[in-house]
Parts: sequence; C-alpha cells; structure tokens
Amino acid sequence: MKGLFDAKKRGLEENITAAVKGDLPPVNEDELFTLADYDAAAAEKTGYSNYSYWRSTLNAFLHNRAAVAMLIVLALLLAFTIIQPFLPNQYGANTINNNPVTGIQLQNQSPSLTTVYAAVPDGTKLIGRRMDEEWYAVSNVLATIKARETITVVEYGENWCRIEYKDLEGYVKNNFQTKLKLPEDPTATPYESRSSFPLSIYQEPEDYTNAGEALYARASSIAEAEDGAVVTVGETELRTIPSDKPFLFGTNNIGQDLWARVWSGTRTSLWIGFVVGLFEALIGIMIGIVWGYVRALDRIITEIYNVLDNIPNTIILILISYIMRPGIGTLIFAMSLTRWLGMARFIRNQIVIIRDRDYNLASRCLGTSTGRIMMRNLLPYLVSVIMLRMALAIPGAIGSEVFITYIGLGLSVDTPSLGNLINEGRKLITSASLRYQLIFPAVVLSVITISFYIIGNAFADAADPKNHL
Amino acid sequence: MVKYVLKRLASSVVTLAIVITIVFVLLRQMPIEGYFDNFEKLSEAQINAKLANLGLTQPIPVQLKQFFVNLLHGDLGTSSRYSAGTPIAGIIAQKAPLSIWMGLMSMAISLVMGIPLGAAMARSKSGFWDKFGTVFIVFINAVPAAVYYIFIQMYGTGWMGISMLFDRNNWITWILPVFSMSLGSTASYAMWIRRYMLDELNKDYVRLARAKGVSSKKIMMRHVFRNAFVPMIQYIPASILYTISGSIYIESLYSVPGMGGLLVDVIGRQDNPMVQALVMLYSAIGIIGLLLGDLLMGVIDPRISFVKKEGAR
Repeated sequence: MKGLFDAKKRGLEENITAAVKGDLPPVNEDELFTLADYDAAAAEKTGYSNYSYWRSTLNAFLHNRAAVAMLIVLALLLAFTIIQPFLPNQYGANTINNNPVTGIQLQNQSPSLTTVYAAVPDGTKLIGRRMDEEWYAVSNVLATIKARETITVVEYGENWCRIEYKDLEGYVKNNFQTKLKLPEDPTATPYESRSSFPLSIYQEPEDYTNAGEALYARASSIAEAEDGAVVTVGETELRTIPSDKPFLFGTNNIGQDLWARVWSGTRTSLWIGFVVGLFEALIGIMIGIVWGYVRALDRIITEIYNVLDNIPNTIILILISYIMRPGIGTLIFAMSLTRWLGMARFIRNQIVIIRDRDYNLASRCLGTSTGRIMMRNLLPYLVSVIMLRMALAIPGAIGSEVFITYIGLGLSVDTPSLGNLINEGRKLITSASLRYQLIFPAVVLSVITISFYIIGNAFADAADPKNHL
Repeated sequence: MVKYVLKRLASSVVTLAIVITIVFVLLRQMPIEGYFDNFEKLSEAQINAKLANLGLTQPIPVQLKQFFVNLLHGDLGTSSRYSAGTPIAGIIAQKAPLSIWMGLMSMAISLVMGIPLGAAMARSKSGFWDKFGTVFIVFINAVPAAVYYIFIQMYGTGWMGISMLFDRNNWITWILPVFSMSLGSTASYAMWIRRYMLDELNKDYVRLARAKGVSSKKIMMRHVFRNAFVPMIQYIPASILYTISGSIYIESLYSVPGMGGLLVDVIGRQDNPMVQALVMLYSAIGIIGLLLGDLLMGVIDPRISFVKKEGAR
C-alpha cells in the first residue's frame, strides 16, 4: 500500500516540478479528450496490497527492543544448553568426583573459573610430597602449632608477622582470626605473643594452601631437594585440585559438578516444557475446534469444561503425581491434563466469534475452501494466542515441576532438573557459604522463564493483526 | 436473581460431587503397597485382612457410597499414618484456623498493595510506577513462586534477624510468610486494575468529563477507578486459588502448623485417607471461591443480568 502511494506521489511531484520549470512536453489537445483503453493491469493496481501477515508480525516484533534482546539471550542460552555436553573438559552430570590423588569426594567445592590457585616463579622452595605419577601435593606451611603457644614476633606487619617459634622461623597471618595480641608499641620488636587459635607458620608471607589443604603441582615442574623440600622448575601453577578442569559452579555435597548438573537440568526442564506446550496446543486446538464448530456438542463440552475448570490445577498436579510413579512421563501427563483447558476455551470463543463474520461468509460464497478459510481467515487471529500460550507453557511447566519436586513427588536426583536442583539447594540456605548451590540454578531458571514470558507476550502482541498498522 | 443463585449453587454442588468422585476413584488406583509399612514381610492373609479392615476389598461404587454417607455425617475417615486412628476432621479442625487467618491476611495485604499499585500504573502510563509495576508483574508471573519464596525466606529472615521458622506467638514471624503469600495476588490485582482503568480512560464519558473541566484527580477517583473496580471484584475470591498453592509452599517452608504444610507432610508419609480428605477440601475451597466471585459480581454490578437472552450466543 505504502509503496504504491509513494510512487503516485513521486509522479505527481515530478509533473509539478516540470510544470513549474516550464519544460512540460507539449500536449496534444485531442489526446486529452479521447477515452482511455481498458487496461487490466491498471485496473488491478489499486486493489494490490503487499501486506504479508508474517512479515508484518516480524516487523512488529522487531520493534520491541526488550523482547529482541531477550530473544538473543534465550537463543544463546538454548544453543549453549544443547552443545554443552559436547564441549571439551566437561564433567558428567551424575559423576561423583573424587580427588584422583587422595580418593576423597570433592564435596562442596566453591565455584571457580580455574583450578589454578597461584603461579610461583622458578626456584620457589615448597614443602611437598609426591602423590602419584603426575602430581605433587605442595604447600609452604612449615608447621602448625597449637592454640595459646607462645611465639616471638620478630617483625610486625599489617597482614603478616615474621615470627620465631622454637627453632622455626617463618610468617603467620595477622588477621581477625589469629588475633596476634598487640604490645603497646608493635614496632618495638621482638615481643612475645600468643593466639587463641591454632597457627600455621608459612615459609614466606604468602599463603600457598587451599584454605589449609595442600595444593597440587605437576610432577614435571617439581624437583626434589636434598632436605626433603621441593623446588619448582620453571614457572609453576599450584592447583586446588589435581586436575585442569575447574568446577565453574562448584560441586554439591557428594562431589557432583554443579555446572554439568545445571545444564543437564535445564535440558530436562525445557524438554518437559516443550512437550507440555506441544500437548497443550494439540489437545487444546482439537477440542477447541470441535467445541466451536459442532454446535450439538457445545452444551456437553461446556459442562465438562466447567467441572474441570473448577478444580485447582495444583490439586490435580499433586493428585496425579501422587498416584503415578515419579518420572518425566508422569510430570508431563499431570501438567498436560489441565493446561489444554484454557487453550480450548480460547479457540472455541474465537471460532464462534469469527466463523460467522461477514468476510468469512463472503469468502464462503466466493467458493473458498474451508481449509483456506481456516488458514487465511481464522488462523491469523488464533496464532498469536497459540504462540503465547505455548511460550508461557514453558515457564509454567518449569514452575509446576519446581512445585511438585518441592512437595516430594518430582524427579529423583539421578535425573537433574531445575526443580530438584533448586530443591537440593534450598536445603542448604542456612549455610551462607553453600548458597551458590541454590543461586546458580535459580538464576538460570529465572533467566529462562522471564525471557520466555516476555518473548511470548511480545510475540502475541506482534501477531495480533490489530497491531499491524 | 434468586433463580440464578440457586442454579449456580446447584451446579457448584454437582461439580463438587463429581470432583470428589474423581479424586476417590483415582486414589483407589494406587498400588496397595502404599497402605503398608512392611509389605514384603506380610503374608497374603494378613494383607487381605488389613485391606478388608480398611474397607478396600469392596467394589469401588460401594466404597464410594459409604464415603458419601459418612461425608454427609461430617466423618472424613481416620488417619492411617500421620496420627494413626485419629479422626481426620478433628486434625483438620485443629489446623484450619491458622491457615484461614494467614490466607485472609495475605488477601487483605494483596488488595492493599495491588490496587494502589495498579491505579498508580494506570495514572503514570509509561512513567516510573508503570515501569516498576510492569517489572514486578513480569517477575512474579514468570519466575516460579517457589524460587522467590525461598529467596525471600533466605534474605528476609537474615535481614530482619529472625529465625527461619514460624512461631505463632511472635508476630514478627508472621510478616514474611503472609507477605510472600500475597505477592501472586498483588501482581494479578495490579495487572487487572491497570488494564480496566486504561479501558475506562478511553471511553467517551471520560472525554466529556475532561471537556467539562473536571480535574484529572477527580476523574480518576470518582469515575475511572470506581468503574474499573467492578470487574475486579470477580478476581478477589478467585485469588483464593492462588493462595491455595501459595499456602502449601509457604506453610511447609516456614513450618507453619496449618493445612498446607499438613498436605506436604501426609504426602511424604503416604497417608492416603488424609491426602484424600485434604485434596477434596482444597478443591472445595477453589469451587466455593469461584462461586463467590460469580455471586459477588451479580450483587455489585446491576448491569449484569443472569436471565438468558433469547437467540444470543
């Protein structure tokens, strides 16, 4: 429409410009008063519109910047969720990770981007011993002394104090935990002091331990010295665990990698959401069409709808999950059992409203097939809400899954899902240092549900032909 | 009107009966192991004796009839595991008042918070309140309730410096559960009142009032808000449905000794008669909520007539 208008305008403008300039071609007076020939193409011209439903929908959607941004975020997230297991250096979602050297479970490891704790230069002396072929356990702790032992502070510092204890000489941390008792003038050293906590004496004013535990260095960059100490060869990385693969989201209380579990859980939850959305659309549209088209069934289906719609969805979810064996199939079945109701009612109402409108009557009179009426006249009105409800089915299904897991009827922990990850994390909220086990899955879940919600609503607005102006 | 009320009431009763039947029949489909603590060790005769004792060997229609007869006498059966042998009606009667109090308080709070928020949103279209409210509504609707409930409990109790558990006698511990429970309804009230007010604002009578020089504040309060409030009424009882799932979470999160926490408890212990009674009770609350919504609409808005128009679809 717009293109046509512009073309007309341009032609008119050119003529006026030409007339003003006075160089209009000479006109044959007779020609102006002869009848024009019938030109089929010209007759069609005004009736032409380049309106395309899907293009207008896309345009309207792209105008909503927040939704487009969310779409990009979501697309990246979904792509990552799918390719994550194929990336190198991933732990298995259900693998219980043990420290390969000591055999102890790597429980509740804090999230970190790398396993490297510190890099030390060539020739650093450390205390260490060989653990296996590849790894040395090292630290720079000379000794640990009991609480309330008297030590001599040789040099006082803000963070580190140089001390002497028996025949040892080294550094201890000076912080709120060690609380080295201050003499009136700390610069007047040496003085005697004691701590009410056990103290570690470090070789240098540097802490090369993993919160008191040994660090690991590769055997290839360690040389053994005569006096039992070890010396680094070349720049050496000291690692918190004897591995290159970090636990990005940390580990849970049995040493499973939370990063792998979160993505695996996202896949499970999204799969449930997609299937529920699909069932909702299929069942809802089929029943809605029958309900709307077959007048004889209208009364019966309406009564059934009234009964079903009166039962709180939560209750049906609980009941079905309680009766059936827990599993993905049960969850999908329980959710699909109620979600189609809203869809069916919407489709039915729209069909009842639209089917007898004049333009449909006209289409039918012109001999348009029912299929084409459905596709061209009805579907554009329905597609917006179908898409909206399908998009909302995903946050809805994830929410229901979290709920069902919470009351103890959901998936087992062997099948990670966002629901049971959050539920596992919830049990740890009393311990502030372990809250990451709740926060990571909760953040991923919120990003997914919020973006689906916003995209769904934006798409529904965009797909409504009333907004295509 | 009376005819309509009676009809609506009758349909609710029928619905309730159907729902009870469905729940009853579904629960009888459970594997029988669920009724025993030590199923493997029992002999067949012992199992049959116990089942017969529970009345489970009879055909389902007979059981159902017996159940309805008992129900009409106010007898919901006895608990099997949670508190073996105690009449369920007694357990529920003891727990219900607290849940009802909490539900009513959260409904009141959500009205007090949601309606002004929605009105502020409508007044400042695309201003601060509108944006704030939109973010709030999107968040509450999109993020599963369990997630933000947990975060409210985690940070709220830390911030207020109180215990994570509920204590009936300490009023401070009431705040967080009731507030959390009200959030879902707050968002839905805000959303609806905003939508209805914007609809009203586009109507001719508002334009006329404005042309007459009525002040903007007066238009909002006297005309727009009042008219927008009428369709809102129907959502107030329906928000009972929100409160139901909210209370199940909240009560067990904060260990509130109410019905919602009880449901989670008895599901964990597979106490079938209790699950049955509570599920039916919650369905009944939902049905009554919707019924009240419809009746309230009829009382408040005289334009709504319940007489079927001939020929209208």
